[in-house]
Amino acid sequence: MKTLFNLKRIKKSFSSVFIFLILLPLGACRNNSFTNNIIIASSGKIESADPAVANTLKSLQLLNALGDTLYEINGEGVLVPKLASSLPIFSQDNLQINIELRKDVFFHDGTPFNSYAMKFTIERFQRIGKMSHILGDNIESIETPRSNLLIINFKKPSSSIEGLLTSIYLTPLSPTFYENHSDDYLNNDFVGTGEYILKSFSNELQILEPNPNYWGEEVKNEGINFVGYSNSSSLYGAFRSNQVDVLLSNSIDDSQRNMLKILSENGSIKEGSSIPNEISFITLRTNQEPFNNKKIRLALALSLNRLLISDKVSYGLRDPILSLLPPIFKTDNLNTWPEYDPLKAREILKGEGYCDGNKLIVPLYYRSNVDTDKLIALTWQQQVNDSISDCILINIYGVESTTIYKNLSEGLYPAVILDWTGEYSDPIAYLSPLVSCKDYVGEICLEGESVFSGSFWASKEVESLFTKSEMLQGEERIENLLRIDKLTSIAVPYIPIWISSQKAWAQANISTPTFNNAGLILMSELEKTEN
Amino acid sequence: MKKNLDKVFKYSLIKIALMPISIWIISSLVFLLLRVAPGGPCDAMLGTSADQIARDNCREDYGLNDPFINQYLNYLSDLIHLNLGNSTSNGEPVIDVISRALPASIELGFFAIIFAALIGFPLGYLGLKKKGSKYDYFSRITGISSYAIPPFWGAMMAQLIFSVILRIFPIGGRFPIFYQAPNITGFIILDSILNSNLFALQAAIYHLLLPSITLGFLLSGIFSRSFRMNLDKSLRSDYYDAAVCRGINNKNLMINYAIPNALLPILTITGLTIASLAGGALLIEITFSWPGIALKLQEAIFQRDYKMVQGITIVTSLIIVSINLFIDILIAFIDPRIDY
Repeated sequence: MKTLFNLKRIKKSFSSVFIFLILLPLGACRNNSFTNNIIIASSGKIESADPAVANTLKSLQLLNALGDTLYEINGEGVLVPKLASSLPIFSQDNLQINIELRKDVFFHDGTPFNSYAMKFTIERFQRIGKMSHILGDNIESIETPRSNLLIINFKKPSSSIEGLLTSIYLTPLSPTFYENHSDDYLNNDFVGTGEYILKSFSNELQILEPNPNYWGEEVKNEGINFVGYSNSSSLYGAFRSNQVDVLLSNSIDDSQRNMLKILSENGSIKEGSSIPNEISFITLRTNQEPFNNKKIRLALALSLNRLLISDKVSYGLRDPILSLLPPIFKTDNLNTWPEYDPLKAREILKGEGYCDGNKLIVPLYYRSNVDTDKLIALTWQQQVNDSISDCILINIYGVESTTIYKNLSEGLYPAVILDWTGEYSDPIAYLSPLVSCKDYVGEICLEGESVFSGSFWASKEVESLFTKSEMLQGEERIENLLRIDKLTSIAVPYIPIWISSQKAWAQANISTPTFNNAGLILMSELEKTEN
Repeated sequence: MKKNLDKVFKYSLIKIALMPISIWIISSLVFLLLRVAPGGPCDAMLGTSADQIARDNCREDYGLNDPFINQYLNYLSDLIHLNLGNSTSNGEPVIDVISRALPASIELGFFAIIFAALIGFPLGYLGLKKKGSKYDYFSRITGISSYAIPPFWGAMMAQLIFSVILRIFPIGGRFPIFYQAPNITGFIILDSILNSNLFALQAAIYHLLLPSITLGFLLSGIFSRSFRMNLDKSLRSDYYDAAVCRGINNKNLMINYAIPNALLPILTITGLTIASLAGGALLIEITFSWPGIALKLQEAIFQRDYKMVQGITIVTSLIIVSINLFIDILIAFIDPRIDY
């Protein structure tokens, strides 16, 4: 035994292997030192570079760098032309919209951008776009009388079209390049008009280089490597160990967000935020007991301590909200939902026969694969136990998100925690998916968006306000939509919890990340600095 | 020996003949379970945002409105024609996705097994040789810890220590994010060698080391414990004592008597371990963002990408069944006592 399995020999072999393993990486490649591109990391992967397939925030981030929109909404919430040369002109009956297009724009493959390209893009998205429902069935026809004039005819008036024209889903595609892909997806390539050209694409990594023929301002960096990690810890670790330059916060844990915030306050890194655009809320099923009783819904809304939840779950990084609309759309900053008031909640519940030994049992569901939802549910459960335990008992249940989405319209969940980000920057993109209803009896929705969001709540007045807003423009329209928010807050089919913004953190040698109004990072603005 | 080989041959033929039935049962179960699970690709894709018309259109596009039996028969027909279909997420052929992801998992699994053997066997031997000494305790504690540590925790600790604190290894991924990996077979290390690309080879090994050593360490306990136990059994056996009495030297005793007999049961364990790794090491792949088959399967399940889940399950089942068959045959060759 001694001759063959000598202990010293084993030790020696182990030491050699260990030294080899340690030395090998020293000569190997650390990401930052081998590229001048800025490395942006985010969690998750991108399935496709085709706007017709895109349905995640991460894919929209990529498309926003590769493509342009006809219009964008500026910091004041005003529509500004981008690929269009002027503001859209609506016909008197709001059934037609005329859009003048820029003449100096070319696609990455050299094809000129014009109205035919735009028509091709919109029609392709209508045919095969996974999110084509955002257009509804409202476009009657598209005309291209001149190469720089696009006319869209609608079946019925739609005031939300302005918002749609800012949507990155409709970023123009080169009709020449996509000729053979007009009815199927092109996953690994993209030819648009944007600031960057897609140099290489894989699900985990996309390499972007500046578009030398871009019609607008030059980008401030030499290119972007957009990389995806499969979990929040890897993402955070990669940023802390300087393996990436910028971290995008799509789904990073709140504890890590908090640590990054502290680091940014110390000046070690830089933090950038978008305007808040993601609303978390609780949906109450209003067509069955106990939440078919408006007073009970109100009492439940009064029992929710948003400040505490924000503090405990998000370290105060997400702002409590008392509306279904992000603040950017609120001209008056009025909070419409009732604030936390456990005494009033108890009083209402007593009036309804609860408390004094009879507790209102609330089965609260949350998406088990969304960590924050679970923490919200647990915190609210404990907070109710501490403040109003004689009247309310919250039982919590975790269900995987796809199962929840499937069962919402079946009315399986009396109360469920969800979130929502408007698919384009317009109040209607927040209100309509939650409260609009096609067919209803009294205050119960039988068919419509309200069914799919699980609340089953309907209001005749709300529906007439929706119809009215289709005919309105500007301030008057916003006032009209705010009225819907107000009416919803009185009926309480939803309880808004907080609103979140997209965040990005950059290493000290990179400029502070900035976002557009749709919550998408402006990659072209990132640059390497002295410090 | 010849008689045994004939039996092995017959046994293999029966096993191979039964493979299509195994695959049919597995694929039918996967098909059924996916349809029974609540929510479909359209629910995962559209969330709460779409109306009934959009949902109906989506279901129509993917043939989900067809009668269940029609869907099943179409699925079987495609399978017979070796067509795994296209992903519902992005329309990409499932076989293309598998041919990208499977080599990543095999590469990781292969090196992990090597590291597991490199760590496990010496540890097991050390413990046995120095029974009751500090080496023995070290060997036992390491062996037990390696399979007691939850893989995700072990992987995260390795990541924290070697990537974040010491900054020796990359945090994740399979290849540097600024460089295009050579692509011939999908096995990056092999492709780098075939391309004579030293930089790519170094980069690929650099990315592979931490996940494979971590996985290897987590698997090493099985090897060290079973090697120690079986070697101990061999060293106490009658045939070993008889060999000692015949005056055979220590080296030959070990090589020809103790180790071969100790390795036989380990071969079965190795086979099972390799078979389980063929489906990917999910937690390691998630932690290290390793673009392997298990990570792809997990994503596909969340997205309710029916075709992808079905395709991956069938391919990995095929591999597992084949590996098991191979191990059975190998053992029969090595050990004439095995009777089929």
